[in-house]
Amino acid sequence: MESFLFYFCGLLLLGGGILMITSRSAVSAACWLVLAFLGASGLFASLHAPFLAVLQVLVYAGAIMVLFLFVIMMLEGPVMDAEQARPKAPVVVLAAVPVALIFGLAAWKLTGAVATGFAATLPEGFGQPTAVAGKLLGEYLLAFELISVVLLVAIIGALALGKAERSKPWK
Amino acid sequence: MEVGLNHYLILAAAIFLVGLVGFVTRRNTIIMFMCVELMLSATNLVFAAFARDLGNEDGHVFVLMNFAVAAAEVAIGLAILVQIYRLRRTVDADQLTTLME
Amino acid sequence: MTETALLRWIVLTPLLGAAVNGLLNRRLPRQVAGLLGCATVGVSFLLSVRAVMMLAALPADGRVITDTVGRWLSFGNLHLDIGYMLDPLSAVMILVVSGVGFLIHVYSLGYMAHDEGFQRFFTYLNLFIFAMLTLVLGENLVLLFVGWEGVGLCSYLLIGFWFNEDENADAGRKAFITNRVGDFGALLAMFLVAATLLPHLHGGEGVLSFLTLQHHTHELAGIATLASLLFFLGVTGKSAQIPLYIWLPDAMAGPTPVSALIHAATMVTAGVYLMARMSFLFVLSPAAMSVVAGVGVATALFAATIALTQNDIKKVLAYSTVSQLGYMVTACGVGAFAAGIFHVMTHAFFKALLFMGAGSVIHAMHHEQDMRVMGGLAKKMPITFWTMLLATLAIAGVAPLSGFFSKDEILFEAFNSAHGSFPVVWVIGFLAAGLTAFYMMRLLVLTFFGENRASPEVQSHIHESPLTMTAPLMVLAVLSVVGGIIGIPHAMGGGAWFQEWLAPVFSGGHGAHGGADAAGHGGGHNTTLELGLAGLSFAWALLGLGLGYLVYGRRPQLAEAWRNLAGGGLHRLLLNKWFVDELFGRVIYRPLHRLADVVCFRWIDRGLIDGLLVGGSAVLTLFTGSVLRLTQNGMVRFYAWVFAVGVTVFTVYLTFSG
Repeated sequence: MESFLFYFCGLLLLGGGILMITSRSAVSAACWLVLAFLGASGLFASLHAPFLAVLQVLVYAGAIMVLFLFVIMMLEGPVMDAEQARPKAPVVVLAAVPVALIFGLAAWKLTGAVATGFAATLPEGFGQPTAVAGKLLGEYLLAFELISVVLLVAIIGALALGKAERSKPWK
Repeated sequence: MEVGLNHYLILAAAIFLVGLVGFVTRRNTIIMFMCVELMLSATNLVFAAFARDLGNEDGHVFVLMNFAVAAAEVAIGLAILVQIYRLRRTVDADQLTTLME
Repeated sequence: MTETALLRWIVLTPLLGAAVNGLLNRRLPRQVAGLLGCATVGVSFLLSVRAVMMLAALPADGRVITDTVGRWLSFGNLHLDIGYMLDPLSAVMILVVSGVGFLIHVYSLGYMAHDEGFQRFFTYLNLFIFAMLTLVLGENLVLLFVGWEGVGLCSYLLIGFWFNEDENADAGRKAFITNRVGDFGALLAMFLVAATLLPHLHGGEGVLSFLTLQHHTHELAGIATLASLLFFLGVTGKSAQIPLYIWLPDAMAGPTPVSALIHAATMVTAGVYLMARMSFLFVLSPAAMSVVAGVGVATALFAATIALTQNDIKKVLAYSTVSQLGYMVTACGVGAFAAGIFHVMTHAFFKALLFMGAGSVIHAMHHEQDMRVMGGLAKKMPITFWTMLLATLAIAGVAPLSGFFSKDEILFEAFNSAHGSFPVVWVIGFLAAGLTAFYMMRLLVLTFFGENRASPEVQSHIHESPLTMTAPLMVLAVLSVVGGIIGIPHAMGGGAWFQEWLAPVFSGGHGAHGGADAAGHGGGHNTTLELGLAGLSFAWALLGLGLGYLVYGRRPQLAEAWRNLAGGGLHRLLLNKWFVDELFGRVIYRPLHRLADVVCFRWIDRGLIDGLLVGGSAVLTLFTGSVLRLTQNGMVRFYAWVFAVGVTVFTVYLTFSG
């Protein structure tokens, strides 16, 4: 079960990612990214992290991507049109070089390793909201509080930055 | 072969690198942003995988923090982007080069 | 050895005068400035007399008075003091310098009375006296050299005194640079001596102190020839011998008192003083002495030939000075150091007188210096005429004036000295003496006899000079006449007091010489020979004088004839000073100038330094900057990529170094 989930959602994620970076229009890129995130959610599920899986959909796919689409729609013109030209070939190659190196290195190191499978056996209730909440409000309480401050700052910042002098109405 | 930690790590590496290539290659700032999100997701995956491997939910906590930070970052980033668009009428990264010497 | 603080005041008093006059300059009224300038030198003279009296009171073999001011520097074995030393040699020098110097200062009150730079003139004059006294009183070679350079500087300042004319400034520069070439030799000699001596010193004594040097002559024997020749190079510069005499005729561009003081009586004799001071070194090297004598006597004849044809009154006297300096140098070369110093003294008297007399003439003739438009001045300027006549007789060597005894002694020593016999030297010197009498008479006749050839306007203004100018003339005339008495050799019935006074200083070499001296200081003393040669010189001098009077006074057509000898070629050669300056120009100045211009200026300075190094480093910086600027392109994607590359490198490194 886990294997199947891994390969299927992995493919979704990887495929969505690749399709996103190669798509011509921003809207299609956003849609492909949503697909990728759904795949990511599935991967979380396969990792016995249901809470994270749900949150992935709610936060990432639900909030963040929606925000993206909002902005894409708001800024018409160059955003809606496809990018003028494909990236030049040398650029792609240059970009790919470090990437290929790291990936090759990682793959080589990791596949050579002996053990496959996961090490520990999981305790009961692993990954459930209760368990996560327990960690969150217990050991990592300070981080929890601080992150809420971060979100507050983000809200204020977004409001302040987003303010506009409306010289002319939206088209 | 049973799917194990290494598989997840390789997958996460691949995702991260895809995001990196996209970031370097695309000129549309919004899409570059989306590539950043992809890279963040890759790291989330790594943490979740290790959490599973060690039987510890500490990794999950970090992923939650990551979510929150990603959200905050997107909000602010897009707000800035909107302002830039209002001023420059473009979101082409190659034209936003005021940092140039 | 006696110590006293008196000596330093002899030297420093003129310096004070120079400082006051120099700092206050025009704020000081002329009378005060002039008075101050003369007074300081006068005080210096009086102190010198006092010091010499102190010296004379000491027994003959211990006549040294020192005045140590302090230690200058000390490095290990190398010690140098600032101090002064008075012995019979420097006693003669300080009396001459301060005494004649004083007279010339008084003369300048009158001569420079209408000059704008009056105070500046006295500043420089006082400064010169200070430097010259430092030179002769210094107790070591370094202090001597300080004075040496100081007089060179003052010479430059005073030659180019009227610097608004290019010619004058050029002359000053020529003097300084030519002297510099000589100084190079002197410096090398000092270094050589010091280096040779240092390993042998242990007692904290000054390494170049004259007293130390005299105690270590045997260690210097090895380098004696080289050091002597190098010192002699300095002497040719300062005392205007071949090949570095070229500056002295040009130096006539300066005011006449300057010519009198510096280029007749004092500065140019510094070279002779140096050789006398270092006599113990020179006598160790017969080879060097031969060179010295050869150059000296050649210069004497060479300069005399040029003086025959010159039309500028000061130029005649300038070449005459070069010629007489040649005699002094020759004296040192044959080992007769005392005779050389004797001639220094007598020459100071009559040459200063001649120059000041010429100045008086120039003053009266409204700054005209060409003798061809002079004449008949004897009636209008009697004092000047009679004093110059006496000086002429002295320089020609007419007995019993001072010049006769001093010049004659040099010639006799050349013929027959304890160091050997140099008849060739005698012959050349004898010839030059005849020429000397001839050209000096020519000068006298053209200037004072016959009818005046100037314009009527100038003629109406001719008058005798004021007392401030004629008084020194009279004093020096007396000295020129009787000054030789103190040096009359035994052979002629005199006491040879001068030579005996100086004997202890030169005891290493050929000291007091006096005819048929019973003690017999080596060498054959033939009274008959000496009297015979003396008589010959006297007759020869009279002949020269007579011929001069005849040719230029009575039979001008003879003058015309000899001028046209060899198709006028000989005359042209001599008038143009044997084209030596032109030769130097072709052989030395032009190549040097090309070197400086092409190699140093164009290639190195402009090309290498400005172009390659300065311009090049700028270009390099700009280039590097433009290359590095490409990384700052403001493109975020690029920055991210560089990030990725960095991480890759790091990862690879970590992976493979684990």
